[in-house]
Amino acid sequence: MRILLFSFFLTLSSVAVAQDATLGKGLFQECAACHSTKSGEVMLGPSLAGVYGRKAGSVEGFRYTNALKKSGVVWGEETLDVYIADPQAAIPGGRMPYSGMAKPEDRKNLIAFLQTL
Amino acid sequence: MTKNFSEVDVVIVGMGWTGGILSKELAESGLKVVALERGAPRSAEEDFSIPRMRDELQFGIRHGLMQDLRRDTLTIRNNISQTALPMRQLGSFLLGEGLGGAGVHWNGHTWRWTDMEFKIRSMYEERYGKKFIPEDMTIQDWGITYKELEPYYDKFEKTAGISGKAGNVDNKIQEGGNPFEAPRKSQYPLPPLETSLACDLFSGAAKNLGLHPFPMPTANASRPYTNPDGAKLGQCQYCGFCERFGCEANAKGSPLITVIPFAMKQSTFELRMHSVVSKVHMDKAKKVVTGVSYTNLQTGEECFQPAKIVILAAYGLNNTHLMLTSGIGKPYDPVSQKGVIGKNYSYQTGTGATLFFSDKIFNPFMSTGGLSILVDDFNANWDFDRSGPQFVGGTTLNGGMFGGRPIAYHPVPPGTPRWGKPWKEAMSKWYLRSMSIGSSGSVMANRYNYLDLDPSYKNALGQPLMRMTFDYTPNEHRLSKFAAQKINEIAKSLNPEIMTPASPRTGPWSVVPYQTTHNTGGTIMGTNPSNSAVNKFCQSWDAHNLFIMGASLFPHNAAYNPTGPVGALAYWTADAIKNKYIKNPGSLV
Repeated sequence: MRILLFSFFLTLSSVAVAQDATLGKGLFQECAACHSTKSGEVMLGPSLAGVYGRKAGSVEGFRYTNALKKSGVVWGEETLDVYIADPQAAIPGGRMPYSGMAKPEDRKNLIAFLQTL
Repeated sequence: MTKNFSEVDVVIVGMGWTGGILSKELAESGLKVVALERGAPRSAEEDFSIPRMRDELQFGIRHGLMQDLRRDTLTIRNNISQTALPMRQLGSFLLGEGLGGAGVHWNGHTWRWTDMEFKIRSMYEERYGKKFIPEDMTIQDWGITYKELEPYYDKFEKTAGISGKAGNVDNKIQEGGNPFEAPRKSQYPLPPLETSLACDLFSGAAKNLGLHPFPMPTANASRPYTNPDGAKLGQCQYCGFCERFGCEANAKGSPLITVIPFAMKQSTFELRMHSVVSKVHMDKAKKVVTGVSYTNLQTGEECFQPAKIVILAAYGLNNTHLMLTSGIGKPYDPVSQKGVIGKNYSYQTGTGATLFFSDKIFNPFMSTGGLSILVDDFNANWDFDRSGPQFVGGTTLNGGMFGGRPIAYHPVPPGTPRWGKPWKEAMSKWYLRSMSIGSSGSVMANRYNYLDLDPSYKNALGQPLMRMTFDYTPNEHRLSKFAAQKINEIAKSLNPEIMTPASPRTGPWSVVPYQTTHNTGGTIMGTNPSNSAVNKFCQSWDAHNLFIMGASLFPHNAAYNPTGPVGALAYWTADAIKNKYIKNPGSLV
């Protein structure tokens, strides 16, 4: 049990260390063809300026699906993580054509970058 | 009453890949450019987002992004003894229209055509003797070389974000690439796409037979990519809605997300949509063109746009049509073999086999426009001896699928009833459990395959339709037989449970079933005015300020898809205009 607990903490701390917005900025390349970081700029997807802490489906001028608008999701560390891992599973009926970011540490870094927007 | 605009430096007809490239390059150099596009504006944001874009009925079957044939079409016949009839539905080929042109709904296959095409007559004569080329086969050298075009291929590949594996970098053969390609200076900008089970099976079988498989070079981005101009492409999601569709993930290299937005940023550039050009005006005394007439389809207004330079950048067939309706250059006559406009129309030939395996799951819906593995052993491989199978040209062979959409894709074994319960059962059993092997073969120019104006039928503007006279010749029949035989060899080596074998295409060409949109010729490039419409800088022999783009420049059709040289020649011509023509207007050769 002690060993298990120890390894659990080890995992947690390594995740905490890996949270790096600079690395996240690089990973944002996967999003950049469709999402602007400038406020108000609608591309294929809505602008991600201020996304952290925002209610899902709330950027004016972007045509969201009902699935996203009615999801009741507020974008935070956990909700973004689940969504970026597998968008279709997280909010069925959404229309973001992205198959998901598999590695948990990549998602943490990306979310760290999204927090800076 | 005609609305007259004031003169600009350049007017460009058509806004697809070539119109987009020329618009960007010339507007950025400071020239005042007006581009005229007959179709509607569109954008990924407004038009390609899902679920809208995954409407197979609207876009895949009813050709929602293509030319409206009620306004303009072609008449078709197989030979000069027949009366041509209008093509009233799209079939054998799909004509693009609207902002971005066919560059929006292409699959992205991007090849470098080499000296084997550009010096075709001299190379075949040297190797096989003059008699090897049939008398009625009007192939000719193009006047350009691979070496001249190499940097421009490179530029186009980087603009469009081509995923692929180089096979020959600076004469060093690269493992896993196409060993028969001409030497390139650099790798493709992106690594190849993921492969599917069908790709892997084909690849293994080809290797076992001593062939050289490699992944298709294609404008489906395998990774997120920022091109040298700063255009951002997303990563391909393998959604299976590529050819005939706009990309929902901005992952397809298209003029709409690359060159066109950069042209639009220039204050020297103006785009006018819904503008159908009907005539290029010529001052015959001065041997120059003076501008173009067009109709604004929204207002019905007739307009005249004068320009110092006119560039025809419509789809190849439409460039030829415009030359014919404008009366520039002498129309080609197949009997006397005099004239050049409309000469050497060529198409392609292909065949394929379907392989059925009960124990394999192919998931054909997970795919993209360029998801296939090819062999070039019977095409770019000059050591392949054509004297045995007796044909000029070549064929590539490919394994893989470009999509398994529900309406159009339902492979069933031979002998399956065509409707009812047994058909449904077979379809649901085999949808996931089959793969195909196909070929894409060249078509050589022939004196009797050509384009001219139809004597009877007219389009919505009252102009004669263009008439296409085309059929395959014995050279293509032999090539198709050879391709079918090779496909079946590879297919059999995979031991499928059931197989629909490839059968050679030897009957008359039909305009009804879809085959390929690779139409070439009509305003061909050559070494002198007696055998061609334009010189190697794509500049008209009849008017030095008229340039023509697109596959109508090609004096014959190769096994490869045409967009590689179409893009490269656009950059090559842009350079020639900026760096040579503007300084010293006149013939560039």
